[in-house]
Amino acid sequence: MVAQSDYKKSVEYYKHLSLFWTDIVYLMASKPSALTSAGPMRKFAMQAKKLSTEMIEANEDLTEFNTRLAEYYKQLSDTWIEAQKRVNKKIPEIPQDMEHLEASKRVWIDMFENDFTQLFDSEKFGENFGKLISSELELSKHWNKMLSVLLETANIPTRNDMDEIYKELHSLRKRISKLEKNGHQTKVKNNGK
Amino acid sequence: MENELKIDPKLVAEFFKFNKNMIEAPKMVPAPDEINLEMTPYDVAYSEDKIRLLHFNSPTQKQYQTPLVIVYALVNRYHILDIQPHKSWVRNLLNQGYDVYMIDWGTPSNIDKYLGFDDYVNGYIDNCVDFVCNEASVNKVSMQGYCTGGTLATVYAALHPNKIKNLIATAPVIDGKRDTTVVGNLAKHMDVDNMVETIGNMPPEFMYYVFSVLKPFEQGIEKYINFFRNIDDKNYVDSFLRVEKWLNDTPPVPGELFRQWIKGIYQDNLLIQNKMYVGGKLVSLKNITMPIFTQVAVGDHLVSPECSMPLHYAVGSEDKTLRIYPTGHVGMIASSFSQKNVLPELGEWLKERSNK
Repeated sequence: MVAQSDYKKSVEYYKHLSLFWTDIVYLMASKPSALTSAGPMRKFAMQAKKLSTEMIEANEDLTEFNTRLAEYYKQLSDTWIEAQKRVNKKIPEIPQDMEHLEASKRVWIDMFENDFTQLFDSEKFGENFGKLISSELELSKHWNKMLSVLLETANIPTRNDMDEIYKELHSLRKRISKLEKNGHQTKVKNNGK
Repeated sequence: MENELKIDPKLVAEFFKFNKNMIEAPKMVPAPDEINLEMTPYDVAYSEDKIRLLHFNSPTQKQYQTPLVIVYALVNRYHILDIQPHKSWVRNLLNQGYDVYMIDWGTPSNIDKYLGFDDYVNGYIDNCVDFVCNEASVNKVSMQGYCTGGTLATVYAALHPNKIKNLIATAPVIDGKRDTTVVGNLAKHMDVDNMVETIGNMPPEFMYYVFSVLKPFEQGIEKYINFFRNIDDKNYVDSFLRVEKWLNDTPPVPGELFRQWIKGIYQDNLLIQNKMYVGGKLVSLKNITMPIFTQVAVGDHLVSPECSMPLHYAVGSEDKTLRIYPTGHVGMIASSFSQKNVLPELGEWLKERSNK
């Protein structure tokens, strides 16, 4: 627990240090460099601290991801060891000849299948799996945000910009489809009259 | 010489034969990429955005006026229902005299991430049904839904009961709380909002992972051992490669639909409780009053019978049939068993309830 709190403290310190210097450098240099506002570098300089913040936070999430991944493989390996023990107990009872090859294979497959299905069906596996995916998603979010910074400096649409367009398109498609349907129904009604 | 290792010479011979088969396999069988999964010829009767409505060409005279619209699942593609001539679900129904249509959902891309249940049920399916009714000059169609397609067909039948003459639900995902499969366990622990917000559509690779934990040793090891052992058996190899190719081709699932699916069916279990809303309308299974045939498989490790069977008891229909088959999720629709048992029964059931 002490090691973890020391680690958190040092991460916080470096986060603060990085933000402090990027802010100060930006304040000191922003006015004269405003001349370069047409090019990408000023935009990049304005956004640079976002990159360092994301990098530091991604590092924290990477720790969580590694913890969950280690737990995931631990669960797999523990289950493997237990299943193998059970197989080792059973196999010597089966003659090791061609006629019994299929039976030996069946024992191995069935015991492993059974133990692993029990694991995948368990609460502890489901919970760790959910957290593992969530931590992976957090890493993806940092990556997306960092990419957005770079895209913005080059005036290229970001993921958020594209999402807005997709949403608008979806709503337009829906409205058009509704209008077409209503138009068709009216036509059918009128023809029927 | 007492410690001499005693190995059955037949075992050694089997080992060498297996190795020989592995080396010679590429010369004997095509690569999955070289296999064409299209079997029974069809026309694209209707298309909208990325979906297509396939109308299969019948080799025999159409005997029933009521067309059958198959709503395929959202995972993998429709080819499994027409995987080989002698195991084809579609061909069997055509041979029994039915007029068969099937919805192919296509491959959703990022632009489709906001498509949800409403778009699929009240949009695509409804437009396909209207098209078929118009083309066949009928007011109602028979509808069959397989797996997640069974859920979509069920929701459609509940919201548009006046357009459905008969409903066939084959391994439908209905009661997520009762589902005993690994899929159910993983789905219950997903932060699905975060997932959809971050990655949009559900990538096929994620689906592959979920499938890989279903029967990891039978599906991940044993079936490949059997493949190489049976490399001389043309029928076995052809069937294996076709199913493998089908298994490894799954389109992404639109993000919004995936969110509504996981939350509505698995996490909050709204559908079976008649609490699910689609397009602002409440989906009540009691509205399903047409004849319904529910098909489930005892060995289904993807959608457990406990998850599908509650549909039979929840609908408002008086004419309802439930059949439990001693096979698996795919065995129920694409196997010799299905040709001999499932399809003749379905054909008989449908025959009594279709217009001539």
